[in-house]
Amino acid sequence: MARWRFILTVLCMCSPFMVQAHNVISGVYAIGSTIEGEIGFSNGDMAAEGTEVIVFDSLGNELGRVKTDAEGLFAFEANKRIDHFFYANLSSGHVMEEMLPADQLPESLSGDAVKTDNGDSKQASKTASLSTSGMDQAELEAMIEKAVAKQVKPLRQELMQYQAKAGMQDILGGIGYIFGLCGLGIWWRQRQKEKQEKANA
Amino acid sequence: MHIVDGALSVPVLATGAVLTAAGVALGLKKMDYDHLPQVGVLSAAFFIASYIHLPIGFSSVHLILNGLIGLALGWAAFPALLIALFLQAVFFGFGGFVVLGVNTLNIALPAVLVYYGCRYGIQSSSPKVAAIWGAIGGAGSIILTTLMVAVSLMLSGEGFALAAKATFIAHIPVMIIEGFVTASAVLLIRKVKPTFLGLDEERVYG
Repeated sequence: MARWRFILTVLCMCSPFMVQAHNVISGVYAIGSTIEGEIGFSNGDMAAEGTEVIVFDSLGNELGRVKTDAEGLFAFEANKRIDHFFYANLSSGHVMEEMLPADQLPESLSGDAVKTDNGDSKQASKTASLSTSGMDQAELEAMIEKAVAKQVKPLRQELMQYQAKAGMQDILGGIGYIFGLCGLGIWWRQRQKEKQEKANA
Repeated sequence: MHIVDGALSVPVLATGAVLTAAGVALGLKKMDYDHLPQVGVLSAAFFIASYIHLPIGFSSVHLILNGLIGLALGWAAFPALLIALFLQAVFFGFGGFVVLGVNTLNIALPAVLVYYGCRYGIQSSSPKVAAIWGAIGGAGSIILTTLMVAVSLMLSGEGFALAAKATFIAHIPVMIIEGFVTASAVLLIRKVKPTFLGLDEERVYG
């Protein structure tokens, strides 16, 4: 009776609360020369307002510091086309580390970046300039980038949350490993015992 | 409770790894191999416990169960928790591989301390006294773990008072729940399977 009650309690505790754990999830993306990023936890909370994000280059030189707003978002104005590294300490052992590769930043920024050959974007800008002859091309490009970034943002967030979530396979896999290791231990133990018995006999 | 890679300094990581290695060695040496299935079951329980979140008000908490694991396993808590933490890092991305030593130490050492502190209490002939000692073990192991997490962060440069306060306050609900869970687990196991806690049946009932 007691055993059944115990099993039932455990089952009741488990079933409705299958939520993912407290991992830090974050992302950075370039919108024109502005790098936007967000920090949150996998349970849906965003980072506390005013969390300091430190920006580094690839050699570890500090490029600047920015603070998150109430929604866990931060923005950093890039003025060089180099890899940007972001670091934030959310206390209690939670840290955020992200990298934005140089090739996501616009080519108009100076920098010691490697030249990337992207014929597609040239082609795209060509057609764009044809259709809107009067408009400043750079301005248009910036506008397109902003619009696309706006559209893609919720998708990115969803994808990030999805990636941070572990599935049933992970749980069962982990339990399987533990029991498998136990089995190995028991088997090894049994062999030792048999050997001893043989030696004694 | 899981500190992630990159939050701690190298000396802290190294110390944690060395102490955990020592703890695991001692655990494997002291472990009664006839109880290996228990070690596995509790390791699996810990592995899942961190994944199950109980919503409390605005936030959510998860059980850690290191008090119960300590009471049942003693020093064998070290290998059991090391394996569970390793698999959590692999499957769930909790913590990390570099900090595995520190995380294991922070969770397993309180378990061992609770084992020594409350082992006699839960063998009391009065179920009430045993339950109280179980609750002390459950809540105490969480308190010790938060303190150790805070010390690890402090030694890596974060202000101790700040880190300790943040971690401690966040885990007050966990302490209460763990206290209840461990107490009821102790009561139940005393009835159903006293040997699971290393209890002598005659001693409980005699």
